Amino acid sequence: MSNSLSGKDGLRILETATIPKEAVIVNGLPDVGLVGLLAASHIISDLKLKEVGAIESDLLPPMIVLHGGLPKALIRLFAGNGLVVIISETTIPVPLIKPLATGIVDWARTKNTKLMLSLGGMAVANRQDIDAPKVFAALSAKELESKLHGAAEVLEEGYIVGAYGLILRKCAETSVPAITLLTQSYYNYPDPEAAAAALTAVNKILDLNVDVSDLLKRGEEIRLKSKDMMHRTHEEMLRMDKSHEFDLPPMYG
Amino acid sequence: MSSEPRSEFSTHGSGWNPAAASIQPLYNLFVAATEVVLTVDLPYVDQKRVKLHCPTEDSVEIFAETSRKITFRDLGAKHRHGEFTCYRARIRMPVPVDEKKISTKFKRGVLEVHIPRLR
Repeated sequence: MSNSLSGKDGLRILETATIPKEAVIVNGLPDVGLVGLLAASHIISDLKLKEVGAIESDLLPPMIVLHGGLPKALIRLFAGNGLVVIISETTIPVPLIKPLATGIVDWARTKNTKLMLSLGGMAVANRQDIDAPKVFAALSAKELESKLHGAAEVLEEGYIVGAYGLILRKCAETSVPAITLLTQSYYNYPDPEAAAAALTAVNKILDLNVDVSDLLKRGEEIRLKSKDMMHRTHEEMLRMDKSHEFDLPPMYG
Repeated sequence: MSSEPRSEFSTHGSGWNPAAASIQPLYNLFVAATEVVLTVDLPYVDQKRVKLHCPTEDSVEIFAETSRKITFRDLGAKHRHGEFTCYRARIRMPVPVDEKKISTKFKRGVLEVHIPRLR
């Protein structure tokens, strides 16, 4: 380990390789339709990003994941092409959400992060009938709208439940530019089509060229392979009252 | 909204049953004023291969053959053995339903079932 940052509640961000400063951080945590996780995983494989670190916490389940025969942390950081991508291969337990969100933003500030881009899903009841899922953006500051380049519609009112809501709020408080992209998706079915739509927006916003054709071609396999993760994520979403996102905020202005 | 069923078809609570070559699908239930709307995620399934049946007034059984045999190896798990040829689930309805008036729609690999409520 070359470096580490310890946050609240025993959260540790470990850097196993040099992590560039002024990068764009892309968050792909398991959430509605696993949109963020599928999209971020696809960025990692398509752009061949290198593993550069991990996030550890005593609040994570006592387990590891094996890849290529080697033990890996459940939440890992990958870097390349001016990006640092954070993905989690386990659901984020509700007690970990706040320390994780705070820890990521605090760490991002030490890296002079250019932009915090979180990818998630927005559940819609008629998802089956939608050919081109629409992407919405929640911003930490109004002036970030120009960075969208028309790839997403600004979300003016609503709730965001979970890590992405807290990350966005903390970024706004600490002047870290942040965009949370929420793509129309199934609520508790893995949605690679929505992930592809999210990546099309990411390509425009960051001027990248992530090829989504493989994500679409392998859609059925990805849906089946992600079934168990989606099931566990759904259980965690119930615990955090994710359905609150369907509510209308009572205040205006 | 309901989570994945944990019925008699389940082994180890994982939703994969190699002994019966079946997979438990993810599903959602929505109870409306006059009907129950059930959706089921069925990748690798053709609409013609889906069978629905209500063994009782308050349950629906789904059986759907997959268009191809699926193995754990196909999904990247070399250490587990198992071949799967169908989805199978028995889903408890929160209210009694009328099997005779079921209507279905199948799009993007997701089955949508509308079942009128009996009361």
